[in-house]
Parts: sequence; C-alpha cells; structure tokens
Amino acid sequence: MSTRATPSRAAKTRVSVVVPVKDGARYLEELLAALAREAVDELLIIDSGSRDGSRDLARRAGVDLLEIPASEFGHGRTRNLGAERTSGELICFLTQDATPCTGWLQAYREAFELAANVGAAYGPHLPRADSSPMIARELSEFFAGFTPNGAPVVQGPDDASFLSNVNACYARACWEEIRFRDLDYSEDQAFGADMLAAGWLKVYHPGAGVLHAHDYPPFEFMRRYFDEYRGLREASGHVEPFGLRSSTRQVRAEVAADRGWMAERGMSGPARARWTVRAAAHHGGRRVFSALGSRSERIPGSIRGRLSLEQRTAAGEPRTTAPGAAGAVAAGGGSPIVPSRPVEAKLSGEVYDVIASRWRDGPASLLDPVPGMSERDHLRLAMVIPPFNRGSGGHNTLFQIFSRLERRGHACSAWLADYQSQARAIWPAVLRQEVREYFAEYEGPVYKGFEAWQGADVVIATGWQTVHALLGLDHCRTRAYVVNDHEPEFFSSSAEQVFAADTYRYGMHCIAASPWLRDLLIARYGATAEAFQLGVDHDTYRPRPVAREPATVIYYARHTTPRRAVPVGLMALAELKRRRPEVRIVLFGSDHVLDASFPYEHLSVLGPEQLSWLYSQATVGLCLSLTNFSLMPKEMLACGLPCVELAGVSAESIFGPDGPLALAPLDPQRLADALERLLDDRSEWERRSRAGIEFVASHTWDHATDEVEAGLRHALAMREAAISAQP
Amino acid sequence: MSDAAGIEQDRSSLEAENEQLRARIAALESELVEVQSRANAAVAAWQERAYWLDRLHIDLNSLMRKRGANQARVTLKGVRAAVWAAQRLWRRLRRP
Repeated sequence: MSTRATPSRAAKTRVSVVVPVKDGARYLEELLAALAREAVDELLIIDSGSRDGSRDLARRAGVDLLEIPASEFGHGRTRNLGAERTSGELICFLTQDATPCTGWLQAYREAFELAANVGAAYGPHLPRADSSPMIARELSEFFAGFTPNGAPVVQGPDDASFLSNVNACYARACWEEIRFRDLDYSEDQAFGADMLAAGWLKVYHPGAGVLHAHDYPPFEFMRRYFDEYRGLREASGHVEPFGLRSSTRQVRAEVAADRGWMAERGMSGPARARWTVRAAAHHGGRRVFSALGSRSERIPGSIRGRLSLEQRTAAGEPRTTAPGAAGAVAAGGGSPIVPSRPVEAKLSGEVYDVIASRWRDGPASLLDPVPGMSERDHLRLAMVIPPFNRGSGGHNTLFQIFSRLERRGHACSAWLADYQSQARAIWPAVLRQEVREYFAEYEGPVYKGFEAWQGADVVIATGWQTVHALLGLDHCRTRAYVVNDHEPEFFSSSAEQVFAADTYRYGMHCIAASPWLRDLLIARYGATAEAFQLGVDHDTYRPRPVAREPATVIYYARHTTPRRAVPVGLMALAELKRRRPEVRIVLFGSDHVLDASFPYEHLSVLGPEQLSWLYSQATVGLCLSLTNFSLMPKEMLACGLPCVELAGVSAESIFGPDGPLALAPLDPQRLADALERLLDDRSEWERRSRAGIEFVASHTWDHATDEVEAGLRHALAMREAAISAQP
Repeated sequence: MSDAAGIEQDRSSLEAENEQLRARIAALESELVEVQSRANAAVAAWQERAYWLDRLHIDLNSLMRKRGANQARVTLKGVRAAVWAAQRLWRRLRRP
C-alpha cells in the first residue's frame, strides 16, 4: 500500500537519536552537524572504546556521551541500552557513517502518521560522491524498488521484513514490546520480522535519506558480506543459494548493469574499464562470500575467523527461539539468562538409553537349553565387544581366546556395541580386518550393532558397556560374562561407576581374568564366577639372543590409564635415581613424553616383537596396576625379566606372596627398595628370572581357552540345572 | 501277557522313543551349529571382499541409485570393451 503523508501531530512528537560509535571520527562531525540542523530533541552517542578522537568530538559538540567497554558491545544489546537511556516517543538509530539529508527528521515524523500502528520507519541510504559505481547503483536501485512512485510506503506482514539500523526510527511502544535480539549481526532484520509477526506496520519513507556508503577494499567487502549473510542466517535462517552457472550468469548481469549505470553518468572509457574489473571482483566475491557466510556453520572455526571482517569465529546457525511479539526474557533486555536453545532428542540407541530401557523392561527371556547341551562338542557363541583401539589388552585377550574357540569348531561371531559412536566412521568389514590385524587371526564375521542378530547358545559380555545391550538380545540359551577387570574402579563416583557395578548383578556367570577378580565378584556382588589365567604368546615373548644390560629399569608408564598409578611409579624411579644416579631408566607404553624429576629415555607404544627384545635387554621391569593384574608382567617374566608389581592387590592370587614376581606396597620408597634389590642382588635376580620363565611356561592361550570354554559350558550347565529343577 | 509285563514293555518302548527323540534333537542342534558356522563363514567371506568398499565408505547400491550412475557404468564398460578390442587387434598385428 502506498499513501501520502498528512502531517498533523507529527511536529509535536519528541524524537531521540542514538548513534553507536567506535572509531567513527571520519564522518562524526558531519553527522552531528546534520542532526543539529534537523533539530532532534535528544541525542545519545554510545562509544565502545574509540581511539580516534570520536569521544572528544562528541564532548565538544555537547551531546550526551555514554561510554561502554568494547567487550560489552552488541548490535542488539547496545541499541536496547540506547533506547533505555533516552526518552523520545520515537527513537532513531543511525550508524556513525550515515549523515542525514535535509528533511530527514520531518520525513520520519510524517511516517508515523501514515497509519495507527506504525512501529518503525526507515529511509534510503544514498551514495556519497566518492562511492564506487557498484555501491552507488546498488543502493539507488535497491531503495527505489520499495516505492515505484516515489511516495512513502506502509508495509505489513505480506511485505519484506527489511529494516536497517543504518537509518531507522522506531516507535518506543513497538521497541518496548519487541526489543532487539542480542545477535551479533542483523538485529534490525530480526526486529523487522518480529514486529510484522506481532502485527505492527513499518514505513519506508524516501524523504528520510542518509548519505551512507561502506568503502572497503575489495577483500574487506567480501568479508563484510560473509558477516552479513552469517547474521542473516542467524536471524532468519536464510541460506544463500549458490550454483556455478547461475552465479556466473548473475555476476555477468551485475557487471553489465554497472557498466550501463556508468555510461549513463558519462564516465570515461578508461575509468569504466577500471571499474569493470573491480565490479567483476566485487560481485563475484560477494556471491561466494555470501554463500559461505550463510553456511558458516560448516566451515572450521579458524577459517571462519579469517573470512569474517569482524574476525568472529562463531558459526551462523539459526536461532530457533525467536523472542517474538510476546516479548522475550533473554534478548538483552536486562535478564542475565541467555536465550535457551532447544535440543532434539538424539538418545535413541545410545548407551544410557539402552541402560534405561533395560532397567525399565528387564532382560529378554532366555530359551531353554536342550538337556546335555553343555556337553555338546560345538556351540553357537556370540561375543559382544566394546569399541577398541590398536594395543587394547582386553580385546587381545578376548580374541586370542575367541579365535581358538572358533578353531575348536564352535560357531563364533563378534558383535560391536558402539553406543557412543566411537567407531562411527569404521564400517564392519574394516572392523573385522582391524580385529585380525591388531589381535588374532579370527575367521568369523564382525557385526556392528544388532540388526542382524541371530541368537546364540551362549552370548558373551566382555565389558560393562556391552552388558545392558546384551541383556536385550533374544534367542539365547544362556549369558556369560568374561570379566577382564573390575571396571567400577575405573571411575570416580559417577553414574558410570554405578552402571559398571550394575552389570555384575544380572545373574550372568562370570569368567574372571584372575582368582582375585573371581573372589571379588563372588564376595561383593554375589555372582557365580570362576577364573582363567591370562595366556602368554611364547612364540613372541621369550628370551632373545641379546646381552642383558647391567642397570636398566624399564617402566610401563601408560599415564592415560589412571589405574596404572604412574605418578607413584615416577616417584619410585626418582627415588631410585637419587640413590643410584648411574641407573638407566626407560619409559614406554605412551606416545606422550612425560615430565619427570629425573632424566630418562622415552620409548613410545611398542609392538609385541619390539617389547620382547626390550624385555630381553633390560635388567628390571616395573609395571603397576591398582586393579586386576595385567598381562605385561607375565610377558616380562616370559622373557626372563624380573618385574616389580604392587603387593596387596591381585598379583598374589596368581604368583603367591613371594613367587617370581617381586611385590612391594604402594610406597615410592618401598618400590625403589624392591627395584634396587633386583639391581644389586645378582642371586635374587637370577632366581626370579628363572622362576618367572618356569612359572609362565604353562600360561598359554590354549590353556586360557580351555578355562574359558569350561566356564561357558558351566554357564550352560547351570541353566540346564535351573530348568530341570523347575517343577 | 501279564499287566506288569505290558507296563514294562510300554516303558521300554517309551524310553526307546525318548532316546530317538533326544538323538534327533542332538542331530538338529548339530545341524543348527553347522548352518550357523556356514552362515558365519559366508558373512566373513563377504566382509573380506567388501573391505575396500567399507574402508572407502562406498555403498555401491546407493551409489548406483544416483542419476547417471548406470550410464556411467555402461560407458565405462564400452570404453573397456573398446580398449580390449584394440589390444587384441594390436597383439594380432604384431604376431609374426
């Protein structure tokens, strides 16, 4: 709709002008003079850290000056502040480089008389004399498009929501209802959309013009477009379309229009040629940077910062909670609460969701085993595993055993439970290859997830993360739990600790990786349990034909595994180094070079072959575990290397209190004593070295497989017995 | 025949039938394990073959559903046939 203004009360309306300024001295004097000429009722300059004399200019002009720290500036936030600090019924916002033309204020007063509920008005941005032809043409054509006949236009909800705080005026009542959102950019566009949605009208008045142009070098222009379209995406969700051919066509059309505009104004040939090149770069860059800006959430933060003129790294994802007509609590209007962000439900299938459903629904029912099944030669075995990495000791144990069970004729399949998407990017065939490469020559399939679940005679849990999922699997005769360690101890007081402990309470028969662990599961959780001994690959771990060094201590310093008590190990080695400065200390098992109070040599993560040579050359090994005993001391012993471990945890249950392994309490002095004794006392060293080789000779993976297989059969037998005991 | 003898005969025949059924169940269970083993082997063999597709995250079914995929395949097949034909001709021409 278009109409002519009929001023009546317009002249009485009190008008405040708010101008946010930062280093705006270039045009500020001209702006202040224009506002004085227009006779505004109130003027507030908000300076956010100018260093170019802008504040002095404002003070000299005698206008109200509000100084805020640069860190507190926000396009929406600061304008809300300006509106709060002024009192006019109309509030005009200008940028520091927008100079009102004659009649500007009167035009705004007229605009608010055009209809009853006009909430905002805006006027054209006119090119300055030195503006580039591209900008001058664009501004002229853009604003001419709002009013074909040159008259003021009232715009409603069916019109574009365009509004620009370069030059805009608001009815205080409208601002109080809508307020500017606390956006990094395009707070005016957001206001335009919000006010129209709330039933207010806005007016474009061609008489309320300002001289305004952003003269940036070409690349800065592009970066500005990046910021503008990112802001537009944040405010309205707009994504600028981009296609190579369509963009090329558009750029060509824009350049042709610029050339026509220059010709109309009688620009010389060489000047036209020069500006044509600039125009091509300008429009081409604009197409690319506006498309990038509206997709900024897909660009890495570091690159985003470089593409932005404001060097802002935040992504431009649309805000889904628009403070609308009803008013928002968090749009920079004084509330300390930032806008809330709705989050879609994503939890389906995730580990906590699986636990919740198991707690709610209980385990799936089991099939009855056929009598005598536990004695049958071959069984259908399905092993559920958590995600893994190269070097995972637990997975190595599992697949050493599982591959042997497979070779004994059992039908074996492995299933990855990956509820936290750790192996998201790894597809099943790759998982299988990794199992074979990292752990053992397993021939069966590896499934990811349970969509193809087929049932099993025994389904085997292998870690706390696998249990709740496994309990939901149907068509199983029984469930068993191969327990490598007491996993609740991996966590401090936490939900994970509770979940891990919960896994031992579902009546699954546990097959534990040491007598200590077996006894703990029985005593603490009332589980049925038996133990198996971890095996050693004797083909790899054997004394190598190499001279043993006289005073070398090697330490498995895997600091990323807290149960390894690495700080205590380092304290013990520091004490040893203090007592015996000549001792050579080598740390291995971690890629990270640790800081220590003594000099040492670093070896990162080594493969089995390298480890066996290291164990064959060193004098003493140190390997600590605060929970269940690990394979590493056994492998050291198999290479003839005496080793110091922690006393009072799990090692005694395997080696006895004074077996081949030297045990010491969790005390740096006592650990250093044990290490020193093995360095000094040749006869003890030889006794432990010999005893170690003899002791672990029978600890093979075949033997471990016998024990685990017996455990699986026990699980079936217990189930058979339970069924036959039913009335 | 006395009643006792008849009952004894019935019991024997029931036990024999039970034994037969147990044997049958055991045979079926063994068959199930055998079938499962073969299914596992088939899936494992497929995973062995699909390794590079999975490694490169290529789902051929979804790839071939894309527009122009079949035309590209036919074109490549044609090019390959032409190359092979040229190679055969070249070998024939070089034959003494």
